[in-house]
Amino acid sequence: MPAFLARMPAAARDYSACSGCSLCLLVCPMWRSRHDPGFSPEGLAKALQCGATAAALAPPLDACSLCGACDAVCPERIDLSGMIMDLRRRLANSPLPDVPRPALPDDLHSRLQQGAPATAPVAPRSAPVLLPGPALRADAALLAQVQALLGIAVFDDDGDDIALAIEVGVVIPPLRLQSFLDSLRGHSIVAADGLLLRQLRRWLAGSQRMGLGAALSTRAAVRSNLGAGDLYVIEPRAFHADYERMVGFYDRLQRETGCSFNLDLQRIAIPAVAPGMAQNPGFAAGDEVQAKWILQGRSPARIVVESLADRAVFGRVCDLPVVHVAELGVDPQMMKEFRHAFG
Amino acid sequence: MIPRVEPGTVGPCPVAADALQGIKRQQTNPARWNGAGWQAFADAVRAAGVELAEGAIACGVYLTDAGGTAYGLPHGVVIARSAAQISVLLKAAQAHRVPLTVRGGGLTTEGESVAFGGVLLDMTGMSRVLAIDAAALTVRTEAGIYWHSLAEELRRENLDYLSAPLNLTSSVGGTLGVGGIDVNSARLGCSADQALSLQVVTPTGDIVECSDDENAELFQRVILGYGQFGIITEATLRLRPYTPLSMHYYYYSSLRTAIEDLQMLDSNDASDYSGILTIMDCAVNLLVAFDSGEREAAFRKNWASRLRGFGEFGFALSMAGHYALRPWKFREALYLLQRKREVFPEFRRTEYMRDGKMHDRSVVFSRAVWKHWGSRNMVIPDLATPADRFIEAVERGNAVCRKYFRHYTLYCVGIRLRPDHGPHYEMSCIPPAAQGWAYGCEFEPMIEGGVYSRDHFQSFKNAIYDIGVDLGASYYRFGGMMKGYIRRVFGDELVDRHLAMKRRADPAMILNRDVIF
Repeated sequence: MPAFLARMPAAARDYSACSGCSLCLLVCPMWRSRHDPGFSPEGLAKALQCGATAAALAPPLDACSLCGACDAVCPERIDLSGMIMDLRRRLANSPLPDVPRPALPDDLHSRLQQGAPATAPVAPRSAPVLLPGPALRADAALLAQVQALLGIAVFDDDGDDIALAIEVGVVIPPLRLQSFLDSLRGHSIVAADGLLLRQLRRWLAGSQRMGLGAALSTRAAVRSNLGAGDLYVIEPRAFHADYERMVGFYDRLQRETGCSFNLDLQRIAIPAVAPGMAQNPGFAAGDEVQAKWILQGRSPARIVVESLADRAVFGRVCDLPVVHVAELGVDPQMMKEFRHAFG
Repeated sequence: MIPRVEPGTVGPCPVAADALQGIKRQQTNPARWNGAGWQAFADAVRAAGVELAEGAIACGVYLTDAGGTAYGLPHGVVIARSAAQISVLLKAAQAHRVPLTVRGGGLTTEGESVAFGGVLLDMTGMSRVLAIDAAALTVRTEAGIYWHSLAEELRRENLDYLSAPLNLTSSVGGTLGVGGIDVNSARLGCSADQALSLQVVTPTGDIVECSDDENAELFQRVILGYGQFGIITEATLRLRPYTPLSMHYYYYSSLRTAIEDLQMLDSNDASDYSGILTIMDCAVNLLVAFDSGEREAAFRKNWASRLRGFGEFGFALSMAGHYALRPWKFREALYLLQRKREVFPEFRRTEYMRDGKMHDRSVVFSRAVWKHWGSRNMVIPDLATPADRFIEAVERGNAVCRKYFRHYTLYCVGIRLRPDHGPHYEMSCIPPAAQGWAYGCEFEPMIEGGVYSRDHFQSFKNAIYDIGVDLGASYYRFGGMMKGYIRRVFGDELVDRHLAMKRRADPAMILNRDVIF
């Protein structure tokens, strides 16, 4: 078959391919809040083309929420999130004394060095496993509902130290990464952290992975409780990490249930919180401008969120009922069966 | 070395050969400003509280425009924040004779939004929607906003603008200054025609509200005025209720026949949207679309049978027969298949289709444009002519494309003219002789990863522009009216009259220098 007839996905390109089309600005939360091209993926790429160092770009690198919207719209297929994460790594690991570095949890390095404690496998190979992340782990009731809906075991090592290291640019010790990936190999993975999901897509190419929100919304019990009055807030990182597939997935969900989404006219997910690194969950509270923008001109009866951070911010900016998508599909019989299955 | 040229005069062009014999090549890109007085200017604006960024990192994002053939760096950059801030900046620029280049989306193709020294004003810093009046169907917005960002806010109110370029990163202010075409321009006019009133900062720093009723002369000069007579900081625009589109596609093997049918539809007000997009010389697509079922039904009843194009299946059969008899043209057939496979799905993505109707046409079209025609060099010269000269212009332009590139696309659309806007159209992209409708054609080479020199691109563009000179046409999208062409198109008398007005309005000739004067 001639090469041009084959549908081969083109390889991602680097910042040098940026032609300055500005399409990434339209979907970038940090540009939206500042209207300064220096605070945009294009601004970063162009600055790099002009010889900028990571240290010179520290403010926008801190401000980026790594929502991944820019990756989905870049016509040059530049891995813009990857570019920003790479710059963060350079910044975090710079030997220069006066380079601004992100504040990190005290125990991150030790957790990365030690890894997760060795325990008996919770599920046989090929069984689906859940990587809930710290926020969902902290909410035992909701975690139980998630497990009941998905019929899935929580993986002991959910890689939250690795997810945080990816976010802030800390180098992950190879042994820690290898052990994490080895333990996941062969499993179908449901991950609550969209950034971790994005990386797992690269690290475990060929494995089956899905974001937590998308996985939950495949359940009939959830879909049957979604309706036209619902504003369903998609978690952007997981959505943009698998954009082409997820656009179709949520489009079908919309056709089936009539709910609306936090999608813009380009079908890009608008983040409800636009935290920079310093405001990320686990560090401090984010701002509320994005959540208000999602609600502007809309009058839903209920807000359904995939992310716990989004539940918190919508709870602050409106009086509407805000529920996690897992809370849509719970019934007593299912919970009873779940307890029987998982103890 | 590019020779130094005094503001308001035209010098020789150091690049690109003449395309037509007897048409002397003239300056296409400005000379770089030498920086005299920059530091005093910078000190003055900073003392007045204006944030001025200098250095390669701050300025590098503005290195070129969408055309990618003109490169230049400003001495410094100011991000627009308010009319008062811009007023301070312009007063200082006049006093220190520092050139000021205004940039919106940067979608010019001849370097009009590239600063060759001096200060660059990035208008996208003023991107707020100020007020939407759903009852009066108007919006007041800051002028640096992208049309797409405006559409995002309007859609929440189930409203839409009238017409805007099918490019997500065109800015409102930039478009009002040059024209703007949409696939509904044959019915609703050019984008600039939807402006009801403007807030303008004049080159000497006065903040003035203008419209057809208030400071009308300034309004007439600023609309379609290539940024010469003021900086648009706010605009009040007409709106309409949002509607999705019912799309119809017709396929032709003759460009001339397709254009005749397009003009027939336009002159009979038979559709809400119309335009031509060519795939190859022998494969031409006429798109027709509707806002309402009633209009669509009337089209089906009265006009559909008069179109000479095929449906998709009929055209595929026709092409199959054509190439079966000409097997030596199999490469051409493969290219057609490839284009069909790559481009057609873009216009039918399920997330933009509901009940057979296309939602968010600007997103669909713009994404396709950037995906299949966008690159570092958006080489899109264009011509705008009166209706009766359009076929000749397109056929001659098509011949130029054939000479310079292996594959290319033509995009043709009608532009309905408003009789009461005659003063707006003077010395603008609207061809002087046009009555009723003007027609625009963009000539879009498929770069396809090929490597071409700047001279090749510029020669190609000049060859298209020279057709415009020869036919008494004008130049449409992206403000492609370069300084070197304006006297040849409009004549010395008209240009000198506008130049005199420019000198009165902008004594130091600092605002968007070298774009047309």
